[in-house]
Amino acid sequence: MNNPPPAEEPLRPHTYDGIQEYDHRLPNWWLVTLYGSIAFAALYWLFGFQLELLPEPGAALEEKMKANALAAARSSGEISNEILWSMSKDSKVLDAGRAVYQSTCASCHLPDLAGAIGPNLKDATWIHGAQPMDLVKVVTSGVLEKGMPTWGPVLGKTKINEVTAFILSHQPNP
Amino acid sequence: MTASSQKIRIEFNDHVVRQFLVASVFWGLVGMLVGVIVATQLASWRANFDLPWLTFGRLRPLHTNAVIFAFVGNMMFAGIYYSTQRLVKARLASDFLSSLHFWGWQAIIVGAAITLPLGLCRGKEYAELIWPLNIAVAVVWVVFGWNFFWTLKRRNEPSLYVAVWFYIATIITVAVLYIVNHLSLPTSWTHSYPLFGGVQDALVQWWYGHNAVAFFLTTPILGIMYYFLPKAAGRPVYSYRLSIIHFWSLVFLYIWAGPHHLLNTSLPVWLQSLGMIFSLMLWAPSWGGMLNGLLTLRGAWDKVRTDPVLKFFAAGVTFYGMATFEGPLLAIRSVNALSHYSDWTIGHVHSGTLGWNGFMAAGMFYWMAPRLWNRALYSTALANMHFWLGLVGILLYVAAMWVSGITQGLMLGATKEAGTVLTYPNFIEAVTATMSLMHLRALGGVMYLAGFVLLAWNLWKTAAGAQTVNGSVEVPAATAAPSAMGVAGGFLNAPVLYSLSLIGCLILWGAGHGIVAGLGLWGVIAVVIGALTHQQFTGTRWSEWYERLLENSLPFSLLTAVAVLIGGVVQIIPTLLLNKADQVGEVRQIPYTPLELAGRDIYVREGCYNCHSQQIRPLVGDVLRYGDYSKIGESIYDHPYQWGSKRTGPDLARLGGKYPSVWHFHHMRNPRQISAGSTMPNYPWLFVDPTDVAALPTKLAVQRRLGVPYPELSAAQIQENVQAQAQTFAEELKNAGAEVPADREIVALIAYLQKLGKSETIPATKTAQH
Repeated sequence: MNNPPPAEEPLRPHTYDGIQEYDHRLPNWWLVTLYGSIAFAALYWLFGFQLELLPEPGAALEEKMKANALAAARSSGEISNEILWSMSKDSKVLDAGRAVYQSTCASCHLPDLAGAIGPNLKDATWIHGAQPMDLVKVVTSGVLEKGMPTWGPVLGKTKINEVTAFILSHQPNP
Repeated sequence: MTASSQKIRIEFNDHVVRQFLVASVFWGLVGMLVGVIVATQLASWRANFDLPWLTFGRLRPLHTNAVIFAFVGNMMFAGIYYSTQRLVKARLASDFLSSLHFWGWQAIIVGAAITLPLGLCRGKEYAELIWPLNIAVAVVWVVFGWNFFWTLKRRNEPSLYVAVWFYIATIITVAVLYIVNHLSLPTSWTHSYPLFGGVQDALVQWWYGHNAVAFFLTTPILGIMYYFLPKAAGRPVYSYRLSIIHFWSLVFLYIWAGPHHLLNTSLPVWLQSLGMIFSLMLWAPSWGGMLNGLLTLRGAWDKVRTDPVLKFFAAGVTFYGMATFEGPLLAIRSVNALSHYSDWTIGHVHSGTLGWNGFMAAGMFYWMAPRLWNRALYSTALANMHFWLGLVGILLYVAAMWVSGITQGLMLGATKEAGTVLTYPNFIEAVTATMSLMHLRALGGVMYLAGFVLLAWNLWKTAAGAQTVNGSVEVPAATAAPSAMGVAGGFLNAPVLYSLSLIGCLILWGAGHGIVAGLGLWGVIAVVIGALTHQQFTGTRWSEWYERLLENSLPFSLLTAVAVLIGGVVQIIPTLLLNKADQVGEVRQIPYTPLELAGRDIYVREGCYNCHSQQIRPLVGDVLRYGDYSKIGESIYDHPYQWGSKRTGPDLARLGGKYPSVWHFHHMRNPRQISAGSTMPNYPWLFVDPTDVAALPTKLAVQRRLGVPYPELSAAQIQENVQAQAQTFAEELKNAGAEVPADREIVALIAYLQKLGKSETIPATKTAQH
């Protein structure tokens, strides 16, 4: 071996059964991967496990199953007082409900629900029943003798549920 | 100088290397052939032939044990013995131990090949062999270690090369893993119950199972790569310091990652989290090995085109990189929710075994054979053909399993109506959807096997009639004594002390609460700053210390053992304490009756766990399909645990009471009568063979010793109990139009299946508050 390798690639002096070794420095991307995964592990342990920011799997599942059941009931058109209350906390539903309210209801009940031709919808007084399902019934079938039209065939179930949820969002939680 | 000018010639023991090489090729053919058979059985149930010893549940353990312990085992011994003798310039210490090692190992393999098809099985994956064989394995492994370390002691090359580091780690770790996971109490010469049960058995099993992959299929082959690849390429190894960092980080981190096989199960979440994060941290150390392999080929890539040896090595190392990237990916909790129990895992394993182990073996054999038989390789063209057949075979296999696994994961987890209804409520839909991929996989396997047949033929033609030749080396008659640092010198020095304090502080931080955790965290910061500052001033001395450590095999081996043992101790000891029945929460398994226990032993014997899990994960798809998720207390009396790792068929954790007994009766005789399209084998012999009641008194006594709360029963009482319960089942079956004598195995098995998932709730006041 009269030709020594270039100076920037020094070989280690020792050979093992003829095998030689360079001593290259470690590639940066490899070091970044090593230190990055160690940092991730430390943070995951700290936040996910030690500070319990990740929910316990069993509890997380139960919450998810409950939410799924609500969502399924909602989309199937079947509703209940409980579902309507839960919808009144869902910002997507409220956005849709607000739009329906402003275009359909605000002319009689006023944009801030304070009431004019129709009664006030944000106070504690309920004329035709205080349960969410009572509201749905009023909106759907109307109270013809007092001038509340029948909205069922016009708005359809989904929009009625949404606007009911919007009205409920102005009421204190049961 | 006069002493060193006198030389003596040492002849290596290459005879035993040749023996191991031939054995590896032979068992490789057998193991891969069984692999093709079980792959065919997954594509067509008829390939089970209605014969007990040919069913999938018994042959799959034969396949895994044969390819791991017989094929790779013998290959590893050949490679380790060949390279170590040359790297340390010494003949193997004892010809007798070498022979004992070889013949002992072959006898164990023959024993396994007989007992596994007979259904003699411990019911734990890659740990199926019965207890007398377990003891034989431990003894032969000690013989191997003894022979190896004795050779190191007699070495004429003071410094240990990186390949030898990996061999040392292999020998120490496999011994520990194997012994702990095989602890059991015998009930007869062929049957035993594992010492651990339930969650504890699951943890120990995957601590072993994962690290069998690490220390049986990975570290010895890395050592072999470090010797044979630079030899074949004629190039220096890329980086010595990369060798150091990736060796130590690999052996330390690997042990911790076992729980990633138990993600989303009822294993405590802290263990699952450790399994996931340590798997992610393993990515870089694993790729360090790949880099040192591939970058060593710099300047030799032209040879890769023509030399089949380098082709196999280059592809093998690349597959190693692929598999060790995929591994951390699959260990991420959310990815695992999709991939676990599916064919994706099977594909992942085979890209490692076929690609890394199989190709490294082939490269090594093609390199060694001409040197061991002193004749050029019979045909380079055949070797090249082997390479391309094998490569296409692997790609077909792995691609089929990716598609199949992801399909299974998606279909079985798919829901509609806002996650309240299963999209594919019938499990069989996922089986049918992936059936064509089962055929494709079998085809890939056939191609790979065909390539290996070419290897066997090629080596046969090379060796037949050729003159065997043993290597030799000239060493000085008297060698200078290496610098002896002693055990204390191995531990009492800056880098080791810093590392151990860092690990100690990390454990305090990670496991402690409040002030202890705080101290641990500050300790971590202090040690890191201290070590970095210290290293600025005395860094060169640290590397000098390491060079001296390499000349001291005992401290080196002890340090390796410490690095390897820390993870196991931290994970297993708390779990041993946890499994006490009063600490597992309110839901508690009801112990099996004697008849049900007999049925469970039949379940284990037939290897049902190879296709059915008994563990429902807290995931929407799992819970909708199989019922409430499994609680930790629901399997505490299961010796062995049967959580399973694959769902070729549905989960069985809550099977009990789901169907009438007559459903199981017809289903076990012919699954397709109940479930059209099923790939499950028929089990006609269960309707003929009588249940082994005579063994039950001993079995129950052993279960009691293991802590299962059985009342003390006499043999007569057990007999009476069994008969009474069996009679009830036989009558129930008879009333449903299915007549069978009450003493048949099918009755015991049905009794067990109808018990699955039965638990009682212990009021909170009686459970300890932890």
